[in-house]
Amino acid sequence: MNWPAERDLPEGRRRLLKEFVMTEIDKPAKRRVPRLAVLAPVLGLAAAAAVAVPLLFGGSPAYAVEKRPDGLIDITINEVKNPEQLQKDLRAMGANVVVTYIPMGKKCSPQPRSSHFLSKEEAPLAVFPPPEDRMGQGFTIDPRVIGEGRTGVLEFSVSEKDGGVVAGIWARVGQDPIAGCELVDTTDAPLMH
Amino acid sequence: MDIRTRIRDGDRAAFGELFDECSKAVYNHAFRLTANWSTAEDVTALTFLEAWRLRGRIDPDGGSLRPWLLGIATNVTRNMRRAARRHDDALARLPRGESVPDFADEVAGRIEDAERLAAVRAAYGRLRRQEQDVFALCVWAGLGYAQAAEALGVPVGTVKSRLSRARKKLAAAGEPPPTGRQVVGDRGPDKEEIR
Repeated sequence: MNWPAERDLPEGRRRLLKEFVMTEIDKPAKRRVPRLAVLAPVLGLAAAAAVAVPLLFGGSPAYAVEKRPDGLIDITINEVKNPEQLQKDLRAMGANVVVTYIPMGKKCSPQPRSSHFLSKEEAPLAVFPPPEDRMGQGFTIDPRVIGEGRTGVLEFSVSEKDGGVVAGIWARVGQDPIAGCELVDTTDAPLMH
Repeated sequence: MDIRTRIRDGDRAAFGELFDECSKAVYNHAFRLTANWSTAEDVTALTFLEAWRLRGRIDPDGGSLRPWLLGIATNVTRNMRRAARRHDDALARLPRGESVPDFADEVAGRIEDAERLAAVRAAYGRLRRQEQDVFALCVWAGLGYAQAAEALGVPVGTVKSRLSRARKKLAAAGEPPPTGRQVVGDRGPDKEEIR
């Protein structure tokens, strides 16, 4: 196998790129939309209040899950309810996961919930970027990366904003056992671990 | 004060030194991953912008920051869309290649590089993603096991096993495992095994 020798940047380009980088880092950091909203906005229909949901939604489900032929599972969250059933449905699809919904201003206790979490590189449970047909539609997970003696931990941070549900996901694979989640107050960013 | 601590503390001059020292390595690593010299320039710029953003994570102890940068470049290449979105305004200002005199040999050489790499990448593309990362860092970029482990944030044993699997797959696919590249720097007792 033969590959090219190393080359330097073309004449002048290295200087330009360096100037560019050094200029950019001198600029004040740009204020960003919270990562939660950017990462995976699940733009559900209006979720004005849980009580009013059946009327507003006309029977559309709180969430939707669908298994793809390649084994990946799509998850769409429309309403902030019933994580237990979502967990059951995912397990029925062969994904050994625990699912927790975490309201804004809360976090799970204890932390961490496993003695060892694999890195995102070792076990990329949440597929990012998602398949093209799922861009902006919700989340896609790959249950095949979980493995024996381990459990996928899916924590969804959910909030209602501008009439829609915004959800962020924290997805990791942890060594069994996985601790339960008692919600406690926090001032940290959503899904901070 | 060493360069790690200086950059971690926000020393721009030190970051400029890092660019001088490592931009070539990042650029070539990015080319091997993308097979496109132009894209490799974008990846190089994004890698250094990301490195500055992530400077607080630099471990004060350690040697060259090259493995850390190559790890960032690997992630930037993989998540180009996300990295580009994070720096979208900046990218719009990224100076594009200017019209330059036609250095025919240079241009021909770069085209030839891309063609040669395309053949290599056909075999490389059959590897699993994690094996590709390790292969690109250890074999192409010449990092030692420990450095590749640092770059990817995985244990050294994982690097070794992934590289071993990558080599076996390439051999099975009819591509002889490449000979090692001589690199400058401490590769420790694993040096011979890399070859």
